[in-house]
Amino acid sequence: MADVQLSPRSVKRVRSYTKPLSISRVVGFLLLLLVTVIMLSPLWFMVSTSLKNTKEMLMYPPTLIPHTFAWDNFRQLFVSEEIKFGQQYMNSIIVGVFSVVGTLISSTLVAFGFARYRTKASGLMFMLVLSTLMLPYPAIMIPQFLLFTKLGLHDSLLPLIVPNFFGSAYMIFLLRQFFSTIPDELYDAGRIDGSSEFRLFWNLTLPLAGPALSTVAIFTFIWSWNDLLAPVLYLDSQENFTLPIGMASMMSSKFRLAPWNLLMAASILSSLPIIALFAVAQRRFVQGIVLTGIK
Amino acid sequence: MNKKWLSLSLCFSLVTVLAGTGCSSSKSDSNASGDIVTITHYTIDSPDRTFVEKLIPDFEKKHPNIKIKVTKAPYEQFDSKLQSAIAAKNAPDVTSQWGYGGFMEYYNKGMLMDLTPYLTETGFKNSDYNIPDNVMDIYKVKGKTYGVPVNSYVSLMLYNKDLFDKAKVAYPPTDYEDKSWTFDKMVEDAKKLTVDSKNIAEAQYGVDFGWGERDQRPQYFGGNVYSDDTWTNGGKPSEINLNKPEVIEAYKKIYGLIWDQKVSPSPAFSKSVAGQFGDPFLSGKIAMSVVGSWSLAASNNFNFKVGVAAVPQGPNPKVRSVLYIDPLFVLKDSKHPKEALEWIKYLVSTDVQEKSIELSGGNPPVNQKAAEKYYANFSGIDPAQIKQVYEGAYKYGFESYNHLIDNYSQINELFINELAGVENGEKKPEEVLPVIQDKLKKLLDRVNK
Repeated sequence: MADVQLSPRSVKRVRSYTKPLSISRVVGFLLLLLVTVIMLSPLWFMVSTSLKNTKEMLMYPPTLIPHTFAWDNFRQLFVSEEIKFGQQYMNSIIVGVFSVVGTLISSTLVAFGFARYRTKASGLMFMLVLSTLMLPYPAIMIPQFLLFTKLGLHDSLLPLIVPNFFGSAYMIFLLRQFFSTIPDELYDAGRIDGSSEFRLFWNLTLPLAGPALSTVAIFTFIWSWNDLLAPVLYLDSQENFTLPIGMASMMSSKFRLAPWNLLMAASILSSLPIIALFAVAQRRFVQGIVLTGIK
Repeated sequence: MNKKWLSLSLCFSLVTVLAGTGCSSSKSDSNASGDIVTITHYTIDSPDRTFVEKLIPDFEKKHPNIKIKVTKAPYEQFDSKLQSAIAAKNAPDVTSQWGYGGFMEYYNKGMLMDLTPYLTETGFKNSDYNIPDNVMDIYKVKGKTYGVPVNSYVSLMLYNKDLFDKAKVAYPPTDYEDKSWTFDKMVEDAKKLTVDSKNIAEAQYGVDFGWGERDQRPQYFGGNVYSDDTWTNGGKPSEINLNKPEVIEAYKKIYGLIWDQKVSPSPAFSKSVAGQFGDPFLSGKIAMSVVGSWSLAASNNFNFKVGVAAVPQGPNPKVRSVLYIDPLFVLKDSKHPKEALEWIKYLVSTDVQEKSIELSGGNPPVNQKAAEKYYANFSGIDPAQIKQVYEGAYKYGFESYNHLIDNYSQINELFINELAGVENGEKKPEEVLPVIQDKLKKLLDRVNK
């Protein structure tokens, strides 16, 4: 009964605490509003510039809202022979999706092994896997380039996809941390029911690892989506180019004006898949970060 | 059931990817067969360079045994892609110094093929292609030719006619022989055109003197940062002259335009009106700008009327313009230098150079016959004026240091970093120059060992 009497009072106290607008709260909100405006202003300029024509793009001081809305900039990206944005978009999606598939297949299997099986050398092997994190990409760039050129894979999307099918140390580490939190009792129960080891992985571990898997998927997709160096090295023909090369190329000419309006339109379109992916997987993604302790 | 399908599709995708590995290795083998030779032309992925793709059908029709493949990379990644391709023995046949590295860097790294025997064998004469002798000589070292010039940019002055009209100042001349057009006269005009205000919306400046790179600028004032042997020994200066009085005076004059005369924009002003790498002239707040002629190509988009003028005569009457002659090189690993040279010869022929002006959106041809067409390419500017400015620039021109000095990107970076304090008005040139002298000496000792 005492609890029953207490709770309305505590609710009231909370209400009375939230309701009146004290000066400090107003200042706080104004500050937050200011920070929000500052944070959103580059985005505003991106959208605004993407809708300007070339003359207005060069105007000083820059206009906040375009005088005439040049929607044609977006169409231009797809119809221009020089830009080939649609093709690059497709290539980036192909590389992104297959990289995610590859990383999920390979890294989950390896991480499952490290999390569930103990041998004398498992600690050492895990250290070996982790030590590959210390090698930056430029250090393996040339040997890997030689390898893929010898395999005849130069100027194709495969060198960007295939390495993902051989595991990523970072993702293995992330998944192993998550898999280790699944209680042994569940596996024992599975074994008693006659599950094979693969079934324990497929039907027990993976369904429980949703947040970690979506974190891995999002990270891999973003990395592959933003990667510039590897595509530049491997891809020669424009029909194979990915979005980052295409967009870097728009600023390539030191002898010409950079088409900032087209570049901003391209930036908006290229950020859409990432925003969509994050919106869909947001809850699981945040959960994944919390549970694996990785940011 | 669903899970089974999922696992099946995952397995399928893995197999597809690995099967693809096998397929494409056989694809590249088939290229080597037959008499047809494929020449790779490596360039920056920007319309003013990749326009060569549009010339390929015509070239291949005239040379049925040669196929041209164009490979490209964004400007920033141009060098790294080239270096890794060379390391992987997958080097292109034809390219140029389109990245950060210049001719001497390529030459000293042993990347370039000596074209002399092939030029002699095919009876190549630069006069047949209307390439002036002094331009052709730029890419010769010890009598051997390593590059064939294809485009020629010069430095010139662009001016904002609207600002001149408003301030009622007479337009600068286009004639290099007009000896009344001097550096001091330019400063005098610039003062009339300057509104030095803290308010960015009101401020405007008389002149932006972007003549060459920072280490070359003293040349305009009669000082030479590097000893003369640099131009004959493969771009390795034996002495640095940053402690010589004429060089110190030159830097004082250059940066005095910003901080003493207050007729030039500070870097902070330029960045605020034009962004990190933009040209402040485009903002319409600079009356005169000494720039490379590539800026002309964008002139149709300016929000003001633009004119072109001669670079005024400075204390060094012999050098008033920086030449930026772009050549085409054949790389040393090329297996088909003769065919590569055929492609280069095609690109410098008069009708192709004429065609290239429009296809590239206004690249200046090296072929002087085709140049006539180039001068007429800019709306609102009299072709005769551009021609006069170009001819004067050739006469009083000196090739850009970045093409002539080894390890130029490192040297240039040193100048940019160390002179930033002077440009920002925090330090005086005489304080900074001894520091650069010291650091540059150490840098050159290290790289030229």
